[in-house]
Amino acid sequence: MTATATGTPTPVSEPTTHQKSARPRRRNRWIGLGFAALPLAVYALVVLVPLAQSVQFSFYQWDGVSASTWAGLDNYKTFLTDPVLRSTFGHVLVLIGFFALLPIALGLLSAALLTRAKQPGMAVYRWIFFLPQVMTTVVIALVFKRIYAPDGPLNTALEAVGLGSFAKTWLGDFTWALPALGMIGTWVTFGFCMVLFISGTSAIAPELYEAARIDGAGPVKEFFAVTLPGLRGQMAVALTLTITAALRTFDLVWVTTHGGPGTSTLTPAVALYKAAFQNPQVGLAAAIGVVMAILCLIIAIVITRVSERD
Amino acid sequence: MKIYKAGMVAALLALGLTACSPGSGTSATDATKAPDTVSTDVAKAGNVTLKLTDFWGGAEGEWIKQVVADFQKKYPNVTIQRTNEDWGQLNSTLNLQLQDDSGPDIATANNGWQSLGTLAKGGLVRNLDAYAKAYGWDKKVPTTIARQNQFSGDFKTMGTGSWFSTPMARTSLIGLYYNADKLKSLGLEPPKTLADLETAAAKAKAAGEIPFEYGSLDGSTTILLGTQAMLADKKKLNDYIYGDASIKAGDIGMTDAITLTKKWADAGYFPPKFEGIDYQTAVANYVGGKGVFRWEYTGSLGLDAAKQGKYGYLQLAQASGSGTVGVGAAPGAMVISSKSKNPDVAAAFLDFLMSPETGQLAADRGLVPALSPDVKVPATSLSLTDESKGAATLDSDDGYVPYFDWSSPTMLDTISQNLQLVYAGKMTPDKFTAAVDKDRDAFLAGQS
Repeated sequence: MTATATGTPTPVSEPTTHQKSARPRRRNRWIGLGFAALPLAVYALVVLVPLAQSVQFSFYQWDGVSASTWAGLDNYKTFLTDPVLRSTFGHVLVLIGFFALLPIALGLLSAALLTRAKQPGMAVYRWIFFLPQVMTTVVIALVFKRIYAPDGPLNTALEAVGLGSFAKTWLGDFTWALPALGMIGTWVTFGFCMVLFISGTSAIAPELYEAARIDGAGPVKEFFAVTLPGLRGQMAVALTLTITAALRTFDLVWVTTHGGPGTSTLTPAVALYKAAFQNPQVGLAAAIGVVMAILCLIIAIVITRVSERD
Repeated sequence: MKIYKAGMVAALLALGLTACSPGSGTSATDATKAPDTVSTDVAKAGNVTLKLTDFWGGAEGEWIKQVVADFQKKYPNVTIQRTNEDWGQLNSTLNLQLQDDSGPDIATANNGWQSLGTLAKGGLVRNLDAYAKAYGWDKKVPTTIARQNQFSGDFKTMGTGSWFSTPMARTSLIGLYYNADKLKSLGLEPPKTLADLETAAAKAKAAGEIPFEYGSLDGSTTILLGTQAMLADKKKLNDYIYGDASIKAGDIGMTDAITLTKKWADAGYFPPKFEGIDYQTAVANYVGGKGVFRWEYTGSLGLDAAKQGKYGYLQLAQASGSGTVGVGAAPGAMVISSKSKNPDVAAAFLDFLMSPETGQLAADRGLVPALSPDVKVPATSLSLTDESKGAATLDSDDGYVPYFDWSSPTMLDTISQNLQLVYAGKMTPDKFTAAVDKDRDAFLAGQS
């Protein structure tokens, strides 16, 4: 849409005309803008205006109804200094490990293994691993709430194989609740990463593998010399999507623990929801939202820049 | 770069569109002051259509439908159009609905600062003082319930000043349920005091039963608040919640209540691994026959007709021996929109909601009646008989205390989170009480 708006010239269509005047080009640009005007207006109305409003709200103390008072950067200060709110950043870092790094590592490994030897029924495996990606998070959260329950399948299985001492109240345990939630994220994003990487590897020219083998590379060296560099684009996509998913984690926490026990699984998104819809602290909620949006943007830009660098 | 520039321009434009400060459009209107003359004569009002939006489903929904039908029968010139919304949905959108010219005339709000206080302060709901006078609500409603609907003129204090909402002839209490068959087989009578309860719990534990069915995964606080009501001074607890800064949480039995709760947890009175059990599971376990006692909101166990005969309900006496105090409030605060064109008729409906007729309609549907001393309850329902008895005792003792989380908008989070810390041994009862004070004092500081 932006390409149309800025009127990228299209001289390809008129190589036979010898007129070099700028007039038709300028006209094209205005026509393009005319076509884009309606979608742009809608975009401004449903995205830009609320965005600007959020930024504006974040500088006020506001209960959502009565008159607001100017708060300057107080809401941001609260978000960054309040021990509970600040701890949500630490929780998100842990979640990034489970949502992004672990699934990508596992995805790479399984993609490398699966593409080396063609197994019968590959499509079925891929389908099974990809399944969590198409399921609603709320459904997944409810299923795992049952799995992690004190008398749930996980503890029962541990007890059955004589590891009863490892059985825990997974979601009610201060140490284990966050990793337990993280594992759900790993389960969800792993299949996505794997499918992405498998399709990426199939696009790598077979000659590169042949060349590597002729040079005497084993499977491990081959992976690092050929597969990994060839998957740079896919890695960027996977990282961007999974890290921002980790930053935005809401439904998983809301359905399972509400941020508890204590505040050990509180995420910024849950804190935002509580501030906006449960406690009349619209300004604080907006500040949390703005900070998260900026973080997501920075992460996306950094990843894109790094992955496009030669 | 062009794209960035365009984005900047667009963002600046959008900012320009929203230049005035948020909330400045809704100035406090005349609604925050009481009107001088009101009419209680509904029949003379001509043909009136009122819009009612409420968050009642199930048996509560059946009840309000019947109440509406009866009111329309009484006043054929009035039509009430009812809209039902999910509780969370209505709570988070009511402020927007009330700003809409075609919004509801009457709605159910949630008491406390989170909802009702914000609506009253924003001038979205009417001051009902003139109606309170005309209908004599001050005499009809126990003071401890009336206070739950009142705010001071500067909207800095709850529990005093003008009426902004009304209760109804129903109530929602926190109390102690017991499994009648289990008590019988343990050879115990339903306890009357805290000491009785402790003895009964110890006996149940010794007999291999779970004394209290409970789970803390989602931070259920009923056990703490139910216990606190038995230990605290009624007036002080009310005043604390309504923002009297001179009273501290230690003065209102908070430390005692959390210490006792923790003691029960450590003594194994809760189910094994209770910290991993969520609210729904705990309720299902209790109704399914696990555990002897359970602290619960009335009407939340979802007992069917057969089970209603098997579970009893107790409003235990104060540990000090001076009457009965219980956590309770109407299951909704009825408000009239400032934009309503027929506030007189709407107020008549609110008054009707507090009548013994509607209390009887509630009891007929298995809901706990209040403000209805002569209500008849089916004898086969042990739980409803007991619940009504509990409500009647609190009515006559004027012994209601509001839900503790009304003391500040963030209090529910504070007590839920810290309760889990106390169970895990990561916080002492003293620190718990201090955290409660810190939360409320921070809120009070922001109010003044």
